[in-house]
Amino acid sequence: MFHTDMSQTTKPWHTCCWVSRASYLTFLICVAYFAALLESPCTALAQEVSAQDATDVDFVRDVRPILERHCYDCHSGDQPSSSLRVDHKASAFSGGELFGKKIIQTGSGDSLIIEFVSNPKHEMRMPPEGEMLSQLEIDVLKKWIDQGAIWPDGVDQVEIADPREHWSFKPLKSIADLISINGSTIDPDNPMWPRSPIDLFIQKKLIDTGLKPNDEATRRDWLRRVTLDLTGLPPSFEEISAFETSNEVDAYEQVVDRLLASPRYGERAAQHWLDVVRYADTHGFEVNTERPNAWPYRDYIIKAFNHDTPYDSFVHQQLTGDTDGYDAATGFLVTASVLLPGQIGQDEPSKRLARQDALDEIVVNIGQTFLGLTIGCARCHNHKFDPVSQADYFGMQAFVAGVEYEDRFIRDAESQKITEELRVRLNSHSKKLAEYVPLFPSREKRPPINARHNIDRFPSRKVDRIRFTVLATNRLEPCIDELQVCDPSGINIAHAKHGATVTASGSNTSPDRHELRFINDGLFGNSRSWMSNEDGAGWVEIRFPSAAEVDRIDWGRDRYSEFGDRLPIKYRIEGAFENDEWFLLAEHTDRSNYDENAPRQAIFLDGEDRDRRSSIVQEHDSLLNELRKYGDGGRPIFAGVFRKPDDIHLLRRGDPEQPQQPIPPAVPGVFGDLALDRYADEPQRRRALAEWITRTDNPLTARVMANRIWQSHFGVGLVETSNDFGRNGAAPTHPELLDYLAVKFVESGWSIKAMHRDIVLSSTYRQSSVPHAKGIEMDADLKLLWRYPLRRLEGEALRDSLLSSTDQLSFTMGGSGFDLFDKRGGLTGFEPIEVLKASNNRRMIYSHRVRRERDAVFGAYDCPDGGQSLPRRRESTTPIQALNLLNSSIVIQLTQKIASAIESSTSDDDALRITEAYRRILGREPKQTEIELAVPSVRKHGLDVLCRALFNSNEYLYVR
Amino acid sequence: MQREGLLAADQNKIDPSRPYAAREAHFPAKAKRVLVIFCAGAVSQLETWDYKPELYKRDGQLLDGGPAVTFQGPAGELAKPQYSFKPRGQSGKMVSDMIPHLAELTDEFAFIHSLTSTSNTHGPAENFLSTGSVLDGFPSLGAWVTYALGSENDNLPAYVAIPDPRGVPQNGSNNWGPGFLPAAFQGTTFSASQPIRNLKAPGSTPEEDEAALELLRSINQAGDADYSGDDKLAARVASYELAAKMQLSVPNMMNLSNEPGHILRSYGADSVENPTKAAFARNCILARRLLESGVRFVQLFNGSYASGGELNWDGHNKLKEQYDRHAAIMDQPVAALYKDLKQRGMLDDRLVVWCTEFGRMPMFQKGAQGRDHNPDGFTCWLAGAGVKQGISHGATDELGWKATENIHPLYDFNATILHLLGLEHTKLTFRHNGLDRRLTNVEGHVINEILR
Repeated sequence: MFHTDMSQTTKPWHTCCWVSRASYLTFLICVAYFAALLESPCTALAQEVSAQDATDVDFVRDVRPILERHCYDCHSGDQPSSSLRVDHKASAFSGGELFGKKIIQTGSGDSLIIEFVSNPKHEMRMPPEGEMLSQLEIDVLKKWIDQGAIWPDGVDQVEIADPREHWSFKPLKSIADLISINGSTIDPDNPMWPRSPIDLFIQKKLIDTGLKPNDEATRRDWLRRVTLDLTGLPPSFEEISAFETSNEVDAYEQVVDRLLASPRYGERAAQHWLDVVRYADTHGFEVNTERPNAWPYRDYIIKAFNHDTPYDSFVHQQLTGDTDGYDAATGFLVTASVLLPGQIGQDEPSKRLARQDALDEIVVNIGQTFLGLTIGCARCHNHKFDPVSQADYFGMQAFVAGVEYEDRFIRDAESQKITEELRVRLNSHSKKLAEYVPLFPSREKRPPINARHNIDRFPSRKVDRIRFTVLATNRLEPCIDELQVCDPSGINIAHAKHGATVTASGSNTSPDRHELRFINDGLFGNSRSWMSNEDGAGWVEIRFPSAAEVDRIDWGRDRYSEFGDRLPIKYRIEGAFENDEWFLLAEHTDRSNYDENAPRQAIFLDGEDRDRRSSIVQEHDSLLNELRKYGDGGRPIFAGVFRKPDDIHLLRRGDPEQPQQPIPPAVPGVFGDLALDRYADEPQRRRALAEWITRTDNPLTARVMANRIWQSHFGVGLVETSNDFGRNGAAPTHPELLDYLAVKFVESGWSIKAMHRDIVLSSTYRQSSVPHAKGIEMDADLKLLWRYPLRRLEGEALRDSLLSSTDQLSFTMGGSGFDLFDKRGGLTGFEPIEVLKASNNRRMIYSHRVRRERDAVFGAYDCPDGGQSLPRRRESTTPIQALNLLNSSIVIQLTQKIASAIESSTSDDDALRITEAYRRILGREPKQTEIELAVPSVRKHGLDVLCRALFNSNEYLYVR
Repeated sequence: MQREGLLAADQNKIDPSRPYAAREAHFPAKAKRVLVIFCAGAVSQLETWDYKPELYKRDGQLLDGGPAVTFQGPAGELAKPQYSFKPRGQSGKMVSDMIPHLAELTDEFAFIHSLTSTSNTHGPAENFLSTGSVLDGFPSLGAWVTYALGSENDNLPAYVAIPDPRGVPQNGSNNWGPGFLPAAFQGTTFSASQPIRNLKAPGSTPEEDEAALELLRSINQAGDADYSGDDKLAARVASYELAAKMQLSVPNMMNLSNEPGHILRSYGADSVENPTKAAFARNCILARRLLESGVRFVQLFNGSYASGGELNWDGHNKLKEQYDRHAAIMDQPVAALYKDLKQRGMLDDRLVVWCTEFGRMPMFQKGAQGRDHNPDGFTCWLAGAGVKQGISHGATDELGWKATENIHPLYDFNATILHLLGLEHTKLTFRHNGLDRRLTNVEGHVINEILR
């Protein structure tokens, strides 16, 4: 079944599965087929029916054969047309997705089935093509319905399991019960094998199958395995040696604690999470422009794993972090690709469909990530396999109907710091700019007034207040966004933070936009400005807490240059000290005439030193732009904007042009009756959803996450389909073990690290990966874990390992991603960066992820492309991978780095150097034969060739 | 792979050490290999293959009951075809003078005039054409085909995507992506001007390369000794062997210097005044060479990304002016490629597909000299193995706006291509996230009318 081909289409009728126009075609073809079948039996049937005419209609004898002949071809089985199946009593009466229970109702006049089969001209005539039912057949159906549509129980030839009985929807059992179900599993030959309850469950299945756990892995193999698993980086030769020789009783535990405490752990664990939520740093779809502020969500995830944020809080924060101090966490809601406004068709239906698609992505994300449910399948019709109806789907949509895919400006310490730094830089830059403005009064003309930024310089005067009087504007009441009065050192003493106070002739106030206090609040832009209440006139007076020398005043109408009206074009600036005698500091009279079209710059751009002038102006503009981006005190993060929720309706066939009844926020009925009012507040909705997901009796949440953690250590989860715990997903290989882990998880306070610890210290995890014939014969897929599964490094782990082995890895964490390509978004033509440079040598999780563009070298190792959720890393093996690792410029450069590092740190002895290469790359000493084998090549071609071979070796590429 | 792969027959299970080994089709196939010529940006059916005389009569008139607003904005008046049409070949089918070389081949092709797409936006629609889904992340047709059938050449990738010299189409690599199929089935991209990346290590001599490979072999041999039962490692070793072969075979494949002068001329690869055409023509020659060598699936792109119609067939504003340029690039090389394949007898078991993501509107956009997107009726064609010659199937209305006769969603088009390769589209499935996914979703009917 497909349920996803919905997005950005403009054809409302094209829906996902069974009801699209194309599936009507399917239907028509079915009909043509069975019309042919019908030709002969028709007459016989008619006679048979007429004989029954006088008596009661019997379902099995009279009705079912009609349904069988005319309807079953399309309306029976697991995937019936329009979700209507008439081969099963309960299903037939509950109807399909188009008409529900109206198909068969108490009276034949009300039953749509009669209407459809009787009228060949009807839009919904049934069968849609070919011969209609005979009159006698129609009469039988009518009569049957009029007699009460008696469909005896137990006569159906098919059974449909109650989807609510599905294993993952049932409550978790207690640990005691689980262990008792598992039964005693002590193997007399190996009674000491189980170290943890985990091992009891694994051992039981092995014994039942006639297998035994494998031998214990060497310390070296276990250390390399657990280090790569928990940090994504290989252990060093020194770490391996120390561990191999350690006598401490808790040597293993110490290793695990060290790894879990390392910041490298969060970087590793976050990768899987980002795969699942299809995180990327571009918007996707055809334009695929940069999403420059997505990374705070990535950083949040890494931090949350490092802090071992309890999983229930982790879920909460991602749904409602805006309300509890985890702003970046709500990036979860908007990780999907989204169409930008310009990409959506101009017509209203296109806009409505785009909005539906955007909401759908959020529901899909919540469903598969937290609940392991493919809720999105119910967008157009009731779920085929799981007890999620279309109404349930829209109930889920209503929880997030107030989410918009946009940057949200947040004011946090980080943003304060950034904007503060920018202001300091801007301030000192203004001083540089001012050097190009002559002192007032000037014989040469000063630059004309402009709406953005004007500088008045004058011989230094001592003042305790200044007054700015507007004498004329270009139109309307004057408006000033910021008036800065600077002392000779450049400090703006007018800023309110220095204690300056302000009065005015009168103000037009509109809260949060035009207020008198905005004139000296340090913030720019029209929405932080003062407006006079007089057309073309008005004054402002700023009084300083103590007298000071001043020699410059900077002012503007709108420093962000959006607005050019309300500009004072004639003005006078005066100062005073102690008494009431105002003296002139500057005025407009020596300025060039105002010209609306002149460049909005404080200085003349032309002149002898034109290049210098233009570069200084450009620098000023870019600082202002930067400041503006930070929204004056906030920084943008792509974590969604929350507004009054859309009114959600059930959409017939998922088509936004066919709204049906309104649907309030509610969880799927099978999981309980949590429902909110249709008019519930926005944050209340998300909070209620988060609370429901993290209830300890939610049967899915803990199971799904415990399974993901397990998967991170064995490559495959106990439930192989880690995003789908529904009926169509895989069944757990060890259901009791999964429940045990889930219960433990909740009992531990939802500690993810505690679960990792339990798993990697278990005997199951400590098994050797070496295969044997019996195991391969009985369980080639390793579902029973009779050995530890060999796994190839993921693309990220491979890149990080290469950097680490060659001592090039930078451990700088967080922030905007580094570039893998020559550009950060766009349609096409991404040229990979192939030069090794320090700023790029960070862990790959910090790369700027362009949707659809996998890294040119390591992406081929099955890295996700941010299109669809990736619940589990695949391991493919391709010649392109081989070419990339053998020949790519990056790998070659790293090879040269390590070779020359070894050459310069060891004496000129091939055997020594070969030994050092083995230590650094494979973390072990070479055998004598290995040295002997390598010597001739190394002697002839240098150490590079050996390092290159070692990096490509299976021993390096695989976790054993 | 066995865990998830699900082919029709068990014997078709994929050996991880030989993912490109040739595999049996579901039933005897007419076509063994495929060439898909993908024209990005939506070629107007009205300027090419779908002749609508009514449009000459109603040129400049408003369409009663037509849409006020189409994809990009307000609709203008009906506009006549921007090129003249002439009857061609024995069939006498009217084809546009825009593509004189291809028009000569009209008797060879099976046109489907009644295709529909589910999206009127380039990105999703190109995805839909290439993968059967408007979303990113689903396997492309070529990935499905090579997943099912493997390759017939041990020295080359099974699936090659050749980007246009002007750039890649919208949604780029998703058009040849493996989606959730194993990455081995992703199209490998290279073109006559852009070779496979990393075929050769920078600054390394062949002797050094060989020495490294030789060391690698012995290191693996010793290191993997305990793991002889695990085919993953064997597969990895095999992938290095294929990589080594590709290092030799691909440069050879790319070397067009041994093509005779008359071939270069016939494709237009010698064009000095039109370097884009020459570059595209070289891609066409490369496509032929790949098809000759047993590559299973070759996807040849004509036109690149959104560019106001400058670099692809998206003629919104100045359609005639832009199509003059695009046709000059596409027409002669593609026609020459077809004739070359035919002359070499390669069409007996190779299928040629010419396609575009949707069509264009019968009216011009308001205030513009071009046509907006139209997913409701457009033309693509098939030719070669198993396909009837010189037939036109399906039709649009008298204005060429909507398909009215034998309407075929693109699902049907893809189902038909699979059918010609001996694959039953409903059986070619892969289990992903709990669902048996397929190229044709739950849709798709083979268009039997055009099959031989």
